[in-house]
Amino acid sequence: MFYGNYQSFWQPQKHLVTIAVSKTPLSTPFYVAKAIDAFDGTCVNVKFDEVIGGQKAFTKVINGEADFGTSSDSVIAFQSLAQKTFVTHAMFVQSDNDVKLITRPSAQIDSAIKLKGKRIGVTKGTASEYFLSILLALEGLTTEDVQLLHFKPDELVHGFIDDKIDAFVPWEPFAFNSAKLLNKQIKIHDTKSLNTLSFNLVSLIADKELVEKARCVLEGLTIAIDYIASHPEKAKRIVINELKLSAEFIEWVWSDYIFKLGVNQSLILSIKSQAIWAVETQMTKYNEIPSIENFIDSRAMLQVDPGAVNIPQ
Amino acid sequence: MMNGSLSQRIYFFTVSCCFLFATILASVIWSSQTVELAFARDSYAQEVDNQTNSLKQLVISDNIYSSSYSVSHWQSLQQKLTRLLKSSPKLTPSQQTVQNSIKSQNENLKRLFSQITENKLKNASTAIKVHLKARLMMQLEAIRSDSLQLSSIAHTDIHNTIKHEAFFIISVSGVSIVALLFGSFALMHIVRKSLDEVKRAFKQNHSGHFQKIHLSHPSEEFDSIVKAFNGMNDKLSETTVSLAVMKKVVEERTQVLEQLSNTDPLTKVGNRRALFDRASMEFSRAIRNQSQLTLLLLDCDLFKSINDDFGHLIGDEFLINICDVCRQEIRDIDFLARYGGEEFIIVLPNCDIAGGIETANRIQNSLAKHCVDIDGKKVCVTLSIGVSTIDERYKNLDQLINDADKAMYQAKENGRNRIEVLTRQNLH
Repeated sequence: MFYGNYQSFWQPQKHLVTIAVSKTPLSTPFYVAKAIDAFDGTCVNVKFDEVIGGQKAFTKVINGEADFGTSSDSVIAFQSLAQKTFVTHAMFVQSDNDVKLITRPSAQIDSAIKLKGKRIGVTKGTASEYFLSILLALEGLTTEDVQLLHFKPDELVHGFIDDKIDAFVPWEPFAFNSAKLLNKQIKIHDTKSLNTLSFNLVSLIADKELVEKARCVLEGLTIAIDYIASHPEKAKRIVINELKLSAEFIEWVWSDYIFKLGVNQSLILSIKSQAIWAVETQMTKYNEIPSIENFIDSRAMLQVDPGAVNIPQ
Repeated sequence: MMNGSLSQRIYFFTVSCCFLFATILASVIWSSQTVELAFARDSYAQEVDNQTNSLKQLVISDNIYSSSYSVSHWQSLQQKLTRLLKSSPKLTPSQQTVQNSIKSQNENLKRLFSQITENKLKNASTAIKVHLKARLMMQLEAIRSDSLQLSSIAHTDIHNTIKHEAFFIISVSGVSIVALLFGSFALMHIVRKSLDEVKRAFKQNHSGHFQKIHLSHPSEEFDSIVKAFNGMNDKLSETTVSLAVMKKVVEERTQVLEQLSNTDPLTKVGNRRALFDRASMEFSRAIRNQSQLTLLLLDCDLFKSINDDFGHLIGDEFLINICDVCRQEIRDIDFLARYGGEEFIIVLPNCDIAGGIETANRIQNSLAKHCVDIDGKKVCVTLSIGVSTIDERYKNLDQLINDADKAMYQAKENGRNRIEVLTRQNLH
């Protein structure tokens, strides 16, 4: 008993935290952190709750089933409109080519304008829906001009195979899986850089203890991200094993990823522009754009790496 | 301790100082280069920031969707930014991550801008135009944030480098000072101790103790002095004899000479000179103390015929036999000496006439028992003994000897092998 007390006196108290991790290679820093025991030296014992899609992760956080979640900026934008009580601690990855538009080659769609009147599968309230609306808007269309069908991310391709839809907007790895599955029966459109997708660490509104936990999680992620930069091949292998992915897929997406921890103005702008977009395109029932800064909590990131925080304090 | 020459030690000491100095110098050069590189990275980050700000300014001030909008200005600025990104200085791994992010953001920026300006989005609504402009701003903002992060990493690097360098210089200087102090004290200690040891050896030499120097801290320089000194000392100790030794030798020799000059070579008893020395002394003491003193004068009877019958060598043996018998019968304080030819005198201090006669009797009896063996035949000799004892009449020793001599002659005349005392009546 005394030994136990002695131990706890010298070692910082370890918090058990559950993180709802979206099963995508975008969550690479988390998988790497776990594989290289990057959380061992921090104040947290991490348990992963793997989910499909950042929105699911977000729901788990809001329902109190997880302490933290990994959500895309699109999810954050939609949820901020709903005035949910959450905060974003940091962005840890960006991809400018994660969400893709897939059609049938036979449909001969070479411009978004040809999507008019088509049945399009999206995942509601995610980057998928947002990205489609942008594509349409470039040609003066809205989601009203197409027939929008909602699918879970992993079911989009089945809707396509079953010919319920003419086109769909999946994110990785579903785009890749679809390409593998259907090979020449699909056309993946080059939409690189039209949308930047970031993945972020979110939690409920943080008290002091939660900020402390977030700090420790971010410390572990910093170690993992440095590891990814210095040992990219090993990092890839970890993700391949964890997500049971093919090496081919990782090579397919890896060049689109930027792994970097930070809280910066561009994240706020990205969330804000997506929120405004959602309101203006009536993708959401809400009309009021909240102050996005209220959904950012940079306290933990400031403790880990103040240089990576570039927002007005 | 190192067993080398002092000059080697000093040389080693100097080289060590130079090495430490060189280490500090090298670390200063290294850190100044590191700081310089960090400054270069910082100014690079600043430039990227400035360039991005210029682009931002363009987006804010002009309407990019206007048909009169000239893309050339943007494009030239964008090209400048791209060139700048290609000419980055050598970056640290964490900066490289940020740099990769900037490059990727810049590519996005290019694509986005060309998408926007290609056909001025003629079909698009105002909302998407505003939205895309916001995205353009967002990309620029992302680059700016990254450049700020680059700059902040550079600042941290500068700060850390200076901190580490200061710590390094302080610790190396600290160690150097301790080492220098220790080295100089050790050197001083060795020189002082060796000098003391040499000095002490010189002092001891002065007082006649020839001792070798044993250095407690051997060193080549002092070893040569010690070798020379020890060599010199060896020679000195061989040729120099101390006063005490000399005295002892002289005393021993004197004793031998004295013994030779006082001893009769044949019989090994006192000779005439010893007899007179000792007897005079005893005579004076007896007078002074009014104590007794008796003399016996012994003469071998018919010694001439023995010499004639057996030869001088056998005669000498008889004399030796007489002396041996006498020596056994007298006390330690008594003194036997050869007076001449076959005549012996025994000085008996603290002995009266009766004691003298008794001693004379004992000698005669003993001699009768100790005959000399000549060719298996026992040959005996007898003694005629004259006794005289001191009294107030005697003024000197000669008178006493003279009276003993007279008594001996009386014994001869009265038939030999007798003891005669010169009585008052017999006095002349």
